[in-house]
Amino acid sequence: MTEALIRITDLIKSYHLEGISTTVLKKVSLNVHRGDLLAIVGASGSGKSTLMNIIGLLDKADSGTYLLNNKNVASLTDDDSATLRNQHIGFVFQQFNLLPRFTAMQNVALPLTYRSGSTEVIKEKVLAALDKVGMKKYARHRPTQLSGGQQQRVAIARALVTEPQVILADEPTGALDSKTGTEVMNLFLALHAEGRTIIMVTHDEHIAEQCKKNITLVDGLVVAESG
Amino acid sequence: MNFINHCQQALINLTSAKLRSFLAVLGILVGTAAVVALISCGQLATEKALEQFKALGTDLLAVSVFQKEASKSQSDRDSLSIEQWHQLAERIPYIVNLAPYSTAYQPISFQGKLMQGVIIGADEHLAEIVHVRLAQGHFVSFVESFEHYCVIGYGLAQQMKEVSMDDPIGKQLRIGPSLYTIIGVTEQWSENGFFNEDLNQAAVVPLGGIRLVSNDSKINQAVILLKPDSPIDEVIEDIKQIVRSFNSKLTVFPRSAKQIIASMESQGRIFTLLLAVIGGISLLVGGIGVMNVMLVSVSERKKEIGIRKAVGAKNNEIQALFLVESVMLSVLGGILGVLLGLIFTGIVAYFSDWNFSIYLLPPIAGFLVSAATGIFFGFYPARRAAKLEPMVSLRSE
Repeated sequence: MTEALIRITDLIKSYHLEGISTTVLKKVSLNVHRGDLLAIVGASGSGKSTLMNIIGLLDKADSGTYLLNNKNVASLTDDDSATLRNQHIGFVFQQFNLLPRFTAMQNVALPLTYRSGSTEVIKEKVLAALDKVGMKKYARHRPTQLSGGQQQRVAIARALVTEPQVILADEPTGALDSKTGTEVMNLFLALHAEGRTIIMVTHDEHIAEQCKKNITLVDGLVVAESG
Repeated sequence: MNFINHCQQALINLTSAKLRSFLAVLGILVGTAAVVALISCGQLATEKALEQFKALGTDLLAVSVFQKEASKSQSDRDSLSIEQWHQLAERIPYIVNLAPYSTAYQPISFQGKLMQGVIIGADEHLAEIVHVRLAQGHFVSFVESFEHYCVIGYGLAQQMKEVSMDDPIGKQLRIGPSLYTIIGVTEQWSENGFFNEDLNQAAVVPLGGIRLVSNDSKINQAVILLKPDSPIDEVIEDIKQIVRSFNSKLTVFPRSAKQIIASMESQGRIFTLLLAVIGGISLLVGGIGVMNVMLVSVSERKKEIGIRKAVGAKNNEIQALFLVESVMLSVLGGILGVLLGLIFTGIVAYFSDWNFSIYLLPPIAGFLVSAATGIFFGFYPARRAAKLEPMVSLRSE
């Protein structure tokens, strides 16, 4: 077995809102290896999105350890986390989250503008990423001029363009009809076939079935692990 | 992210909220224009006031002598004689030219019609020092001391034209009890804050004969032209000593053009500063407008901030994004405001008869202050944007 890319042990996370404290994750442990296609499955409120945010360095756990590339992320500053997100993680969101005023190209280029690199190189990479998701001819379109499925493809291109070590997809087909959802899912499967590491949060059993590994969360606890 | 990228993205964002950006720019524009216009107008007004003064040169001194205590007896001892005045000029080497003069109050009439005017007793030295030019004839001089001759000012000549269109030279002007023959008419004399008498409305009679006009006239005033860069305080002290040696009862009241100019300049500076503060207040209001616009922009674009953070934007990069936007708004407002302020100054100068000239300070100061306003008032919204939690902002709509 290859070395684990992500190693999470006994993760606990609670939220405090208006004096009421809710523990969302209760000692979650999981490992992700390079090349995995992992689905985190659970009903809403099970803590799967919180887990995803912690994996994506958008949030921090209260206790437990999270090693990304054997590096403990607990002591990272905001800026260190930002750099790691930029270098190693690609996000795909349920609501696509493209910037409405920017063209598809500008949206895909966004992560690269937070790195150093010449405009020419950035343009080349952006077009290659758009090509990969079949959206090259829509490069100059704005999100409002694109269908949901097309927007999600642009969002996937944005996640791919930095060549991240892991792609985190939060309900990527949740806002799409079943046909385009299937197309987007097929795109993820193709990316997995190329050897990319993908973690997907979903409540859709059908989507989860297509993933090699499944982790099921109920009330902040891992109740089942398969694959 | 480099600076050019920041600018490009800021432009995209600003142009997509055109009305709001326009209003923010307008606030800064009005503020900057106010600063530039008010400072420029203040400077031009001061300059105009000084210009009148400086027309005669700055090496001038005016001296009046009065008795310390008013005495009832009218005598020669109340003032200096013409000879004593001229001795002053001889004894103080800094004095280039000295013109004693006197004023008298008597009705002036021409062909039976009463004229508005003042009577000045003087000689050719006065014409030299205060730059009186003659349109016709010649100025009254020392050698004509006891002749009934007079020179009339431009304004008085105009009054006389209403009575008779004839050439005034050789005509008789009644001053008090006697008739005076007009031997000269002056050109229009530009009024001057330093020499207080209005030569345009004057009938100038020979200084030596001023007593013929009015028995209680005294030669108690003089204008003095000094060598350039004379030590004014020293000269004044010398004059005081010499006058005291003539008559210990007399006190000297000096007025130096340089000192008056210096005090006018400092008043002008205070005046300009006051105007700048007033302009600054409107710029402050403009700055608050920018801050407001940026705060709205930040809360409206929380999601965007979240997305940018998710793809790797650092806190200071988010801060820079918003700061560049507010600075762009302010700088644009600043440039337009400087232009508008200068145009406004030009218009005011035109109608106020000032010499319009562009001073470098107001545009540069206006521009820099507006840019600084953008940074200052953009800083807090930008900081707020930078500190948003990525997860919280991603969730917001």
